[in-house]
Amino acid sequence: MITREEIIRRTNDALKKEFEFSDAQLVPTAQLKDDLCLDSLDAVDMVVVLEQQFGVTLRQGYDLRTIVTLNDLYDFIEKLAREHHK
Amino acid sequence: MECLRTWFNTIFIGGAAVAWLAISTAVAAPFLWLKSSNRDQAVRKFVYIQSRGIVFFMRLAGQGLQIETEKRPEGSCVIVANHASALDLYTVAACGFCNVVYVTKGWVFKLPFFRYVMQGAGYIDAEKTSPIAMLELCRKAIARGCDIVLFPQGSRKDPHARFKSGAFYLAEQLHLPVIPMAIAGTQRMLPAGSFWIRPAKIVLKTFAAVTAQSYPGELGHLHMAQDVKKQIMDFVDQQNVVPNMNY
Repeated sequence: MITREEIIRRTNDALKKEFEFSDAQLVPTAQLKDDLCLDSLDAVDMVVVLEQQFGVTLRQGYDLRTIVTLNDLYDFIEKLAREHHK
Repeated sequence: MECLRTWFNTIFIGGAAVAWLAISTAVAAPFLWLKSSNRDQAVRKFVYIQSRGIVFFMRLAGQGLQIETEKRPEGSCVIVANHASALDLYTVAACGFCNVVYVTKGWVFKLPFFRYVMQGAGYIDAEKTSPIAMLELCRKAIARGCDIVLFPQGSRKDPHARFKSGAFYLAEQLHLPVIPMAIAGTQRMLPAGSFWIRPAKIVLKTFAAVTAQSYPGELGHLHMAQDVKKQIMDFVDQQNVVPNMNY
């Protein structure tokens, strides 16, 4: 199963490539809206980017509004990976 | 010498520019207000004339104004430009775009006097308008022959800030070409947070239009935003007009 470290690395790599973030910005406590300035369209784009990165579908069956910080995002992907592994 | 020129620019040319904005608005307002049909078009024409006036003052204050334009496509376009100074708004007119609708942040609509012009011209408040309503307003503007102007960086604080993809998504949805426009030198002349008008050379350039067809896939608008930003910022960086904040 994919490790949390691997999830963090791949998520951060994808966000850096597509949204031009620096390492300094991508701290686990960073809020997607207030700190990373992701608007509603960016949020949709981010979901597509992560779907492509991890080969999963995030758009159906999940309430993504509960994801506020980067850490929430890592938790969410980790939970999905665990469900997928079962 | 530059310090003296900055004082002169700020007091005399800046003062004359503010007077131009105030007097031209005061003179034109009653006529625009009384106009019953096509008032929005008349206000946009007025903004264009006012902007050309400000560009004249920018020429006086600066060390030259160079404009390079590519042939634009027929019909309406989405114009996207980098944004590092309050002067950027006026440079759009210098490139010959005369019938434009700006999509701007909400605070601009709260400025005294300006808000009446913004509302009268049919400009769009990006913060108050839902994405679906914005598409509808843009469709109406296109039907009236307007170009849509956006500054995808959204703020003047960081001249190298990311280009948000909303403008490109809009172009994709409306099937409009995107004209990238580079603005170099205004950040040196009047940087964000300053009222000193420094002498600077201003270079404006419009590039060949790009279309969404060249960027397929769900993330096409995001990749178009990245490519357009690179094209614009490479040009701006080549102009070597880094802001000098020493005084």
